[in-house]
Amino acid sequence: MSEVPGLQEDCEELLGAFQAADTVRFERFAELWRERRFHTIYYGRIRALERNKITKKTLELAQQYFLPPYAFQIRVGALYLLYGLYNTQLCQPKQKIRIALKDWPEIQRFQQDLIDSQHYDAAYVFRTLRLARAFHFTAMPKPLNYRTKKKIQENEFKEEFKDPSNRVNSLITNDVLEELMNVHEHYQKMKCVISADKLQPDKALSLIKDEFVVTLKDVTLEHQEWQQNRMKLFLNAKETNEMSNKKKEETLLQSEGAERASALARIKYKSYSAVAEASRSRRHRQVKLESSESGLNYGKSPSRDKKATRRPQPARRRDSLE
Amino acid sequence: QESHAVGKRPDNPADLVGEGELLLTLNIFYPVIFQKHKDHKPYQTVLVLGSQKLTELRDSISCVSDLQIGGEFSSQPDQAPEHISKDLYKSAFFYFEGIFYNDKRYPECRDLSRTIIEWSESHDRGYGNLQSVKMEEYTFNDLSFKIGFPYLFCHQGNCEHIIIITDIRLIHHGDCLDRSLYPLLIKKHWLCTRKCFVCKMYTARWVTNKDSLAPEDPCFFCDVCFRMLHYDAEGNKLGEFLAYPYVDPGIFN
Repeated sequence: MSEVPGLQEDCEELLGAFQAADTVRFERFAELWRERRFHTIYYGRIRALERNKITKKTLELAQQYFLPPYAFQIRVGALYLLYGLYNTQLCQPKQKIRIALKDWPEIQRFQQDLIDSQHYDAAYVFRTLRLARAFHFTAMPKPLNYRTKKKIQENEFKEEFKDPSNRVNSLITNDVLEELMNVHEHYQKMKCVISADKLQPDKALSLIKDEFVVTLKDVTLEHQEWQQNRMKLFLNAKETNEMSNKKKEETLLQSEGAERASALARIKYKSYSAVAEASRSRRHRQVKLESSESGLNYGKSPSRDKKATRRPQPARRRDSLE
Repeated sequence: QESHAVGKRPDNPADLVGEGELLLTLNIFYPVIFQKHKDHKPYQTVLVLGSQKLTELRDSISCVSDLQIGGEFSSQPDQAPEHISKDLYKSAFFYFEGIFYNDKRYPECRDLSRTIIEWSESHDRGYGNLQSVKMEEYTFNDLSFKIGFPYLFCHQGNCEHIIIITDIRLIHHGDCLDRSLYPLLIKKHWLCTRKCFVCKMYTARWVTNKDSLAPEDPCFFCDVCFRMLHYDAEGNKLGEFLAYPYVDPGIFN
């Protein structure tokens, strides 16, 4: 079945509003839901077969926001969204929410977090869904589809919804630091044992900086703070830009993923924009430049023109990238 | 999708599906008979429980080739035998991940996979160890397979169906919990039935070749039209033709 148009945008809009409200209370979410009359999202397809499909697609989309790497607030919002969507669906018997078994421990940890941080309304909502037997425990999160001709669409979710991807933190965790500390102490003790002075290792044996574990910890914390500040800056800039010139500021303060992507695009453009002009003897076989950016051109080879045409200069595009 | 069995509970409590039972969704594709099906093969969707034996699935697959009656009967149209191919050729196998599961419940069953195994072992063709085991000794829980990967079901010697497992999940309170209803058919492709050339009303039951009385070769007739055209009042054969009993693929609609 083809993608349901607008579904992702609607869900992201609601979750975005919830995130902006800066709370995890269900009352706030319910207000936002009622403002938008979100239950009408199912009214698009009324006939039985299509109704089942659209409900499945909607629940599948909402379920994705419920799992990591999304931020805590977005995940709570997704939980409320699932609750709302599950209860307002038109299908009888109700379509269930598919959760892969591999994600289940993560969800249980999430529930424990909710209870520990005393977000009892979210914990209650989750418990209600469990009691209503709203979940199907599956092996794979997404059911298969057979239209091999269709391109598998990569879902690009908004950067703001994600927890800042802290790769450094995930490598240097508390456990790792503790382990390092233990090993370091053990190493120092071994050095003392084989030295002449039993209380201090020999000068000849000092090959590493003694304080390196502490330094490592400080550096990691610094990195985390820097990243958080950057994120805040990006979000602030985005807000103030709603009125002013969008394009200019966006190119200045792009998030890291988009920066990398645009750098790659620049390099690619430079290397592929130079098309060799054929010699005069083969001037009936000039190569025309075709862009591979639009998905519709997939698989087409560059066209050959009988006349010796000059290749078009894409001057417009050059400006916007630099 | 037929949801006639959703939420059903068994009359016999021994038939109740237990908690923690796995539910698999399989797509069984029809063999390509009509050329128009080559790109989008029609299929039926079946639900099976993890604890069911492979033989239960084999028995539930309804294929038109099982109902074929072999033989030419132009001279004795009333004596078409009752033995359908399903009774005569009982061998079948499933192929999952390098292992052939052969149906060995009846003495007539032969190991159809032996030819394939011998072929792959004769030269170094790059296939790993292919094994052959008995279908009736295995349940779906014992198998290992990939979701979405095509596997094979072969019966009647050369009738091959592709099987793809699309989904595995735990049994749910809202599912049909009556074990006797599984394997459960939930989706079937509807095939057009071929009608008699003469009356265009009844489904064809006979097909003729080299028929001097028929406008095309092969030509399909229902029972009544067939006899009226090809035999006189005493039952003598008129004209030259070869006649075979015909089973339409749409018989399972």
